[in-house]
Formats: sequence, C-alpha cells, structure tokens
Amino acid sequence: MRIPIRAQLLVMSLFLSAIPIIGYQYVWELESYLRAGQEQTMIGTARAVASALHERQALFDSPATQRETVRPGTDLYAVPIRAPIVLDGKFNDWQDAEPLVRHYDERYRIDDHEDPFAQPVSLRFDHAVGRYQQFVYAMFAVKDNVWIPRGANARGIENNDHLLIAMSDSDGNIQRFALAPRTEGWVNGFRLEPQPNSYEVLGNETQIQGQWIATEDGYNIEIRFPFAMTGGDLAFALVDVDESIRATPVSVIGTANPNQENELGTIASQSTDIEDLLRSLQYTRSRVWVVDKHLRVLARAGDIQQAEGLRASRRQSTAPQWWQYIEREYLLPLYYTVLTRPSNDFVDELANAFALQGTDIANALDGNADALWRLSPDNKAVILSAAHPIYVDQKVIGAVIVEQTTNGIRTLRNQALERLFHGMLAIMIVAVLVILLFATRISNRIRRLRDDTEAIIDASGKIIGELKPMRRYDEIGDLSASFSSVLERLTHYTQYLENMASRLSHELRTPVAIVRSSLDNLAVIQTDESEKAYTERALTGIERLSKILTRMSEATRLEASLASVKKSPFNLKDVVSVCCESYTAIYPAHPIQLKVSTEKTDVAGAPDLFAQLLDKVVANAVEFSHPDGPIGLHLWIEQQTACISITNQGQLLPSGMEKDVFQSMVSVREEAAQQEDVHLGLGLYIARTIAEFHGGSININNLPDHTGVCVVVSLPLNS
Amino acid sequence: MKRIALVEDDQTLRENYTEALTRQGYSVSGYDNRAAAENAFATRLPDLAIIDIGLKHEYDGGFQLCQYVRNLSPTVPIIFFTARDNDIDTVSGLRMGADDYLTKDISLPHLLARIAALFRRAELQHQPSDESALLEVNDLQLDSNRMLCSWRKHPVDLTITEFWMLYSLVKKPGHVKSRQQLMDDSKMVVDDTTITSHIKRIRQKFSALDEQFDHIETLYGMGYRWRAIDS
Repeated sequence: MRIPIRAQLLVMSLFLSAIPIIGYQYVWELESYLRAGQEQTMIGTARAVASALHERQALFDSPATQRETVRPGTDLYAVPIRAPIVLDGKFNDWQDAEPLVRHYDERYRIDDHEDPFAQPVSLRFDHAVGRYQQFVYAMFAVKDNVWIPRGANARGIENNDHLLIAMSDSDGNIQRFALAPRTEGWVNGFRLEPQPNSYEVLGNETQIQGQWIATEDGYNIEIRFPFAMTGGDLAFALVDVDESIRATPVSVIGTANPNQENELGTIASQSTDIEDLLRSLQYTRSRVWVVDKHLRVLARAGDIQQAEGLRASRRQSTAPQWWQYIEREYLLPLYYTVLTRPSNDFVDELANAFALQGTDIANALDGNADALWRLSPDNKAVILSAAHPIYVDQKVIGAVIVEQTTNGIRTLRNQALERLFHGMLAIMIVAVLVILLFATRISNRIRRLRDDTEAIIDASGKIIGELKPMRRYDEIGDLSASFSSVLERLTHYTQYLENMASRLSHELRTPVAIVRSSLDNLAVIQTDESEKAYTERALTGIERLSKILTRMSEATRLEASLASVKKSPFNLKDVVSVCCESYTAIYPAHPIQLKVSTEKTDVAGAPDLFAQLLDKVVANAVEFSHPDGPIGLHLWIEQQTACISITNQGQLLPSGMEKDVFQSMVSVREEAAQQEDVHLGLGLYIARTIAEFHGGSININNLPDHTGVCVVVSLPLNS
Repeated sequence: MKRIALVEDDQTLRENYTEALTRQGYSVSGYDNRAAAENAFATRLPDLAIIDIGLKHEYDGGFQLCQYVRNLSPTVPIIFFTARDNDIDTVSGLRMGADDYLTKDISLPHLLARIAALFRRAELQHQPSDESALLEVNDLQLDSNRMLCSWRKHPVDLTITEFWMLYSLVKKPGHVKSRQQLMDDSKMVVDDTTITSHIKRIRQKFSALDEQFDHIETLYGMGYRWRAIDS
C-alpha cells in the first residue's frame, strides 16, 4: 500500500491533539482548587453568620427550639404560606403546607383508651399548621361518622363535637379555648377557664376565628389566630361526640392533650427576627438557612438560582470585530459541544423546604463545621452547602447553612477553556500547516527528483540528459547529488560502450594494416602455388576483418556526420516510392507491396539518410522473411505524424526484445545466420539514430496474429 | 626514380610498405616522427609523401606536417594514410591540401594504384591532353590520363578517389551505379556512409563552381547516376 509522506506526517500530527487534553486536565485541576477555595470561603461565611447568631438567646427561646426531641404530630411546624389563605373551609389554598399535612387517628388518642368504658374511635382528621404574616392558620379535614353540632339552646359547649385549643402565652400561662359552632359557617373561639378539663366559658375569643363547614363524611375546620397569642406551646384536640342524648365524648384525638399543662406540643415557625438579621448581613451571593437542632428551618435568605458563588464576569473583549464574530459564530458553538454552559435554571428541591438534612448539617449540629457537595435533581447544577453550628450557652442550638452553586467556577472554567482552546486551535492549525508545508516541500522535492531522474532516461534506457543537482543542504540534496553523479558515471559508461565499436575498429585498424601489408608483400614474392593459396585465404580473412571494422564504426561515423547535415523539406512519399522500385530490383525474390494512404507527406530531414534508414529496415525485413515472402510497406498520416510500416512474414521477435534490438550491437539472429555474413546488430541502431535525427521514433512489434514482424517509423510532418 | 617519403610511427607497417613500394621501383625513405620528416623535407622534398595523422605523441602531427610540406611546395602530392575514418578528419585532411585520404586497411594494390595515379597526374600536368583520353558529357570534361576534371572549362580539384568515382558515373551517363560498384571502381573497401560522404564532397566541389549543379542524382536504395542533359 502506498501512503504519501504528506498523509503520514498528517497522521503524526494527530498527536498534537494531546496538547488540549493536557490543558483540559490542567483546567480541571484548577477548577478543583477553586472548588476547595469556595468550600473554605463558604464555611467561613457560615461561621460568620453563625457568629452573628451565637448567644442570641432571644432568637432561639421558643419551646420548639428548646426541646431536646421532637414528638411527631405533637411538635408542630407552621409552614410559611406565601399566598394569603381565605378562611372558607376549603383547603385548596393550602398547597404550600401539603407536605406537612399529617393524618391523625387512634394513634393520637388522648383520652384513656384502656378505660373499660372507652368506645372505639370513630373520628380521624388531617391537620396542618401554617403561618401567613402574623397569623397562625390551622386546618382540620375531619372525617366523622356523625357531626353533632352544639344544640340550639345549649349553653354548654362540651356535649357536642368540639375543638379544644391550648396554648401558653408569652408569660407561660396556659390559655384554653374551644370551638363548638351551632351551625356550619363562621366560627369564633370561646375562652375557657385555664383549669384543666374545665368547660367554664369565660367569654368569646374573637382573635380565634374561622370557618366550620360540614362535608360529606365529616367537617372541615379552618381557623386562624395571631402568632403572638402563643408563647410557643400549642395543642389541638378534637372531641368526638356521636349522639346528642347522652352526649358523652366517644374519643378525643389531637396533637397533644390540652388539659395537661406539661404535655402541650410546641409550634415552631420561621423567625422573622432571624430572617431580618440574615438579610442585614447581606450575603446575597448565597442562600443562607438557619435551622434549629431538629433540622427545622427557622429562617432563610437568598435565592440559590442567583447564588453562583464566584462572579465570573465576562471581560469586555477588545478583540477586533471579525474575531469576535468568528468566536461567536463558529468557535464557541464548537467548544460548547464539549463544554456545558452552567445554567441557573435548575430544579431546586429545597425551594419550599421546611426541614433540611444532610451529613454536613448533622455534623454541624454535632458541633463541627462541614461542607457538602450535591447535584441538583436534574443534574444541571452542583450545589455546595456549608454548615456551621450556632451556640447558645455552649450548646448547639441550631446551624447555619450557606449554599452556593458552582456555576461561577464553572463559568470561569469555561472561560479558561475557551481561551485554552483558542490557543490550542491556533497552535494546532499552525503546526498542521507547517507540517503540511514541510511535507509538501519534501514530497515535492522527492517528486521532482523522481521526475527529473525519469525524464533523463528514455524508454529504451538511454540517458538523454543531465541531472541538475539540487542545492545540497539536506539528505534529499545529497540524494539528488548522488543520483546525478551515478547518472553521470552511467552516461560515461554508456558512451564508452557506444564508442567501443568505433574505438575498437580504430585501434584494430593498424594491426590489420600490418597483417594485410605483410600478406600483400608475401603474395608478391611468393612463387610456390600451394603457399600462395594460404596467403589468398589469409587475405580473404583479413578482408572480412576489415569489413567488420568498417561496419563497427559506421554508426559512429553516421552520428558524427549527422551534426553537419542540414535538414531540408522533402516528400516522403517520393522517397519511399523510389526506394520501393529499387527494392523490387534488389530483392527479386520478395514482392514489395507499397500502399500509400495519404497525399501530404512533407517532412523535414535528409532524404538520403531516410533512404538509408529504409534500406536498413527493409534489409532486415528481407532477412527475417520467409523465402519469397512479401514485404509490405504502408505510408499513412496519424496526428500530424507520418508513419511508415514495414511488415514481413516470418520469424518472430523474441518477446521483450522490442526495445533492445534498436540498441547498438544487439542482434537476435541465430548463430548459423551470424556466420554467413557480418552482422553486428548495428542496422536497426542506425535506423533508430536516423529516425531520431528526424525527430521521430521507430518501433518494432510482432504482428498480432504472430505471423511476422512489423516495424513502424513515425516522423513528424513538416508544418 | 620516384622518391616517396613514408611518415608512419608504426615500425612494422612502415617496413612493410617500404618494402612493397621499393619493390614497385620507388625509392622510399621512412620517418617515424614529424621532426625527422621535416628535417629531411627541408633538405629535399620527396616526389610524394604518405603521412599518418597520429605521429607518436602528436595527435595530429600529420596535419602539421602536411601544412609544412604545402608551404614548401604547393604541388607535391600528399596522401593521408591513417586509422581514422571519421568525416571530420577526412575533411580537414583534404582541406589542408592533401591529394587523397586513405584508411589503413586499404589493400596494397589499391594503394599502389593511387600512388601511380598521383604520379601520372603530376607528370602529365603540364603536357597537352591526349584527345583519346578525354571524356566529355555536357559541360563536364574528364581527362582520364591526367585525371583532371573541369566543369564549363573551370578545373575541379578532385582527389584520385573522387575522380575515379565520378569517372565511373560519367562513363555511362544515365546508368545507375550502386555504391558497391562505385567502391570497386574507386578501388576501395568502405561502407555506404563513406560513399555517401564522397558523393557529397564531389557535389560540393561542383556546387562551388555552379550553384545550379544537379547532375549527380541519388536513386534512393539503389545508388547514383550522372544525369545527362539532353542537348
């Protein structure tokens, strides 16, 4: 398989693509440093926020916060509700609190279920507490087999289904209230005697207000009261009465027992005080949470979508307009097929969170600051959270959690990678171009050397020119120089070979003359007839030797004389016709068949030389022809070239000799034929020399049907 | 007795020819280098000089010698007798005033015939021409005795070989003479190319006198003939 040098070097240059990989890894490394830095900064931020909250007892003095453990269903959390709630007994505006709606059934039975007279529970309800501005809202979706409203004339409130509410005021005194409407609709609370189990009504409590609406299988209660009414303790209990005659409570189900002062539940809610404090700290570049030690959110500030951490501002580019265009339209889209642009539009699972979790917070609540990396649920952003404990009286009371995304770092990384890619791209393009240029130059030089070398050797292997050596500043130059010198030596050798015949004949001529003159002398002085016969024979031999010498130098003499021959236009057809007439006379045994297929046959040259060419070729054809075989000559024009074919039937040319027979001293005659006459294989060489003198060429081939041989001489027409 | 100077550096060959020529009744003095020959010629010129071109170390000592002889006498016949058979040497040799240019493998009888012919030409130079030996065709006049040729009364300076060749053609005007016949008639054994060269030189000599000269016609593949103009 042939692979050009250029392609090979291009493949090699693929290794250049390792550079961006290293750069990419470097940028990754950088990013991880930045992340570590961000982590430390965040922990610092968390510590700073925590410092602002340390020992601020007032902010954390609510019973909910003070409790060591959280009793599910009893210690309530007032969900911050964003849209105002309409007190209409319908709960479609309670979506914010939906996750915290709790189902209360016999597990939350408050009255003694082991009492021998205890009746089975027939009431259960779903309940949630919310907070909107300064009001606590509570919802109860009650399922009761029978709703017994307060009798129309009943003064007491205990002989029907009613809701008991207990809370401690800011002074720590128990306040008890009840709701027991006569009909469904707007309802206000009654203030009860603070004494446990007492149904003594002290009066209306209009601060507790709401709706009590009957439903298919029970009733809905939706109430509100000012958050300030409670000091943090709160209990709700629904007393179920199923028949109005005896009107004894069937069961009491609630968040805590309102009749036991020490067992009231707590209500936690987000602290506006802490939120104000957080806001005043102005850590707007992050989202800050404050949680109590039960992981419940006490305050939050900031928006995670805006919390990018580092602000990687895109620098104002001073690059020229065209470069900015290329960058924007081509390069950046290309890069961002690999890179991802960090998006602030990710899903935040904590958007409405009321409680947080995570090992970092757990560690913080154990007293150790910690940080945690996590992915947003849609994998679009990496969020870093750092948690730091808040101490009150040497005790961990809660934790500050600071959150940021790494989008800032990622943007920074992307910008670094963009610049890196710009650089890499430039380096690679330049490197590839340089390599391509280099390879092109090398291969061009090699190709030129090859072409030059091939150009100075013709089809027959003859060296027809001189190789001009290239400048010698590298191996190719050396190669060229050595080619040149090899060819030069070869030329000399070829010339030596070509001149060999003539030199030989020249050198042999003197010894031959000595032998001949000696024999001539001998012939004169000899008287003995028998001796004379030998002399005669020796003379015949020397005669033949002389002939051989003459023939040997014929080609050289012809070449020498060609230099002085002036070309003149002549009609090829006439020369061929005249020649054919004479061949008819010279070779009476062979019919000469001339066919002329053209009118215009003017060529430039020397007619007698051409005739000599024809003589040689025809003599050759006759020699290789069958006895009495015809010799066919055909003259035609082909593409501004006059062609003459000389065809004879008979012995074929050995394959592979088509070019060689035109070389000097090459003969394909059989041994026997050689001995009869002097053949040095110069006839066709002379023919070629003459054809080339006329600017033409000569070729010999076996006939396609293998009956003979055809020589074609082509000469350019005289224009 | 005719005196022949033989300048030839090969001793064997010199001796052979000396003997052969002596046997023919010539007085032969042999020289093997130019200086010796020049010294001898300065004293007395020979009647005919046979000179080899390459003499010892002098590649074309023969040419210099020829010029030397021609300076002494414009008439002494000079024959170049050499192993060199190329056109360039032949032409330069003849231009220097040599009367003939022969290659060394010529047979002794052919050489003797030329020597005899040159002597005869020199002898008969100043004698009136013998009518019977005159051959006239068109404007050409050939004197076979004196081996002189003239075209329209202008003498044409031909070598012996050329004269014989032309004579062969003119003897039977219109008849084709093949190269082989021309070789035989001009008493030499050469190849076709040499014959072509000779014919070319003869034409040139005539063309120098008459630009319109075109009586020597080439018949490709066959030979040459003298084209007699019907008058």
